[in-house]
Amino acid sequence: MATSTHPARLKALAASMAAENTDVLVLFGNNWHADHLRYATDFGIQEGQGIALVRADGATTLILDDPAEAERARAEAAIGDILYAPSLVKEARRLLTREGNRQIGAAPFHLLPYGLLNGEKDLRVNDGTKVIERLLMTKLEVEMDAVRRAAKLADEGYAIFRDAARPGRKDYELVAEIETFFRAKGVPENFMIIGVGGQEVRGMAPPGGKVLKPGDMVTTELTPCVDGYYAQICRTLVVGEANEAQKQAFAVYLEAMEAGIAAVAAGVTAAEVAKAENDVFRKFGLGDYVTSEYTRVRGHGMGLFPDQKPQILEDVQIPLETGMTIIVHPNTYHPAVGYLVLGDSLIVRDRGHELLCGTPRQLFSVQ
Amino acid sequence: MRRGLMAWDEQELPRAALETRVALLREAVQAIGCDGFVAYTNIAKGAAVAWLSGFQPYWNEGLFYVPATGTPLFATALSKRVAEWIGSVMPIGQVQTTPKPALLIAQHIAQNAGQNKTKRIAILELDDFPAGHAKTFLENIPGVELVDGTAAFAKARAHVDTAERGLLAHADRLAETGLAAIDAKAANAQQALAPCDEHARLGGAEECFATVAPDLQTSARFQRTDTAGALGQTFAVRSSLAYKATWVRRTRSFTRDANLVPRFAAADALLASFQPPTEGSLAKAIAGHFTGPDLRVESWLAEQPAGSSPLSGVAASAGSEENWQRQAPFVLNIELSLNGARWLGARLVG
Repeated sequence: MATSTHPARLKALAASMAAENTDVLVLFGNNWHADHLRYATDFGIQEGQGIALVRADGATTLILDDPAEAERARAEAAIGDILYAPSLVKEARRLLTREGNRQIGAAPFHLLPYGLLNGEKDLRVNDGTKVIERLLMTKLEVEMDAVRRAAKLADEGYAIFRDAARPGRKDYELVAEIETFFRAKGVPENFMIIGVGGQEVRGMAPPGGKVLKPGDMVTTELTPCVDGYYAQICRTLVVGEANEAQKQAFAVYLEAMEAGIAAVAAGVTAAEVAKAENDVFRKFGLGDYVTSEYTRVRGHGMGLFPDQKPQILEDVQIPLETGMTIIVHPNTYHPAVGYLVLGDSLIVRDRGHELLCGTPRQLFSVQ
Repeated sequence: MRRGLMAWDEQELPRAALETRVALLREAVQAIGCDGFVAYTNIAKGAAVAWLSGFQPYWNEGLFYVPATGTPLFATALSKRVAEWIGSVMPIGQVQTTPKPALLIAQHIAQNAGQNKTKRIAILELDDFPAGHAKTFLENIPGVELVDGTAAFAKARAHVDTAERGLLAHADRLAETGLAAIDAKAANAQQALAPCDEHARLGGAEECFATVAPDLQTSARFQRTDTAGALGQTFAVRSSLAYKATWVRRTRSFTRDANLVPRFAAADALLASFQPPTEGSLAKAIAGHFTGPDLRVESWLAEQPAGSSPLSGVAASAGSEENWQRQAPFVLNIELSLNGARWLGARLVG
């Protein structure tokens, strides 16, 4: 049951394997890092771990260490050769040994199981990151379309979130409403964190049971997944009317996000986008709050992984390329009002960008 | 990605219970001549660290180091801004955030090695341990020997305390509530799965993987909301659910066929009344319990936590029972044939 994106991906992967002289590509994954496996098999792994062996002729074997996941893969994956093996490493080694002296690459290399590389007889497996990393970052047209659809659902999801946020509700109840909406729309996964409160809130995290009260700022990032592809939106709302400090703070983030987005174009580096955002903070005397003490990144790539390269940071010199899908979000702590977020997803184009999010860029107010 | 309720409540999971678990692990690790123990965690393989510390990362990865004595150390690639939050939901151990958690743990072990030049470190599931982290250990801890600590952990993990039983029972109730919210007349998978997820999460589930076998007449395979469409006359929903990092599964079959409704209800009752055997084999107990006119057991699978896996097959109709821990609760998944009609069920037993 392949999605519309899978055949095009396989073609691109075969070309990349040929270019990198790779006969067999070993791809490892789990529910956290599902992207490499998904690229080759179109299977979204949920439990346990999996390894795909992709041969140069396209023949692919998917090994899963959870029996129910193997059954689900037989219904959902785009390939036919699916094996259940309680010992993933033993089975993968057995199959790789059969490949003889062929050139084997693997990714993500640092996460590969230790036993795969170190057994009674060491296998010669090279770092195959180069084969697939660029494919994950720079999307094909069909992949961009999936990200567009995910972004549309992110917009719709935020409308649900706004409706759900009202005084007296617990933070995890808001998440429950979002998840209900996404499941009803056929979205199987969503990355989401939340912040509730004021100046004391230093970041977002999973919900802890906080009850919304008047004056609270409620921050969230929603990241629904469509056909395996994620798109994100970040917004902040205030329970009740926003006060002057909140409005003034939000204006800085809006200016920063718009400066960052205006900088996006093919050939511009991630560092230049981050600098455009951060310069706005520095202009308002908030330079301390764009450091790692208060913020992680000023945006990032998205695709089959919700937080992929390039990270938008002032020390990341990766040039943006047409077809990269990224979010620009100057999310950070503000000393007067607490953690505040604002971010939109977009596609990098030759001369700028294609904006994917349609939710107004405003500090929302809910009663 | 975990996005449901994540909070620590001392009433549910007393610090003393975690300290006992760590002490049991230390005994087991010392018994195999090791100086410390390391378990890796991420959202797919978090059960061991959650059992030892109460903490399950919502994202990213980390390493939990238990030295022979002293405070355990948790190093995680989660960012600095969430360090305070981790501390609030992780009742024991010291937390450090770093882009390179393996390097931080390795340096900590090396600095505290003292006169003992050879360090034997037990690694949970060494074969599955990320190769990059193993390399970091080998390069940064002089004289280190990495040994497989899976059996040592399993020895400690055989201990099931009151706190764990309480969390399991709560998780099971949430899964049951979610399945009870499903309308047997739902037209498609999305209509069936959405309320299941909703009710579980409203009750405080940390995670809920709801999947559907859309037409039991043709297949017993479960699918997610993005690939399943119209529902047949009979379908089943499987809810794999975590509450405070404690996982259970429940499966319930639904039918729109009036003739099958009483048979499905009878099968539900049979599953609900199954008790774990105090002696003898599980297979024999299942065969003895699930009986009736035109009823046949097609297959079954028992699952318990094992190492870093929240639920792992420990006994099955097509395999041995040697990994099944009789004294511990388990999830029984079972497929029955009811006069030719497929029925699937699962619940927590014990």
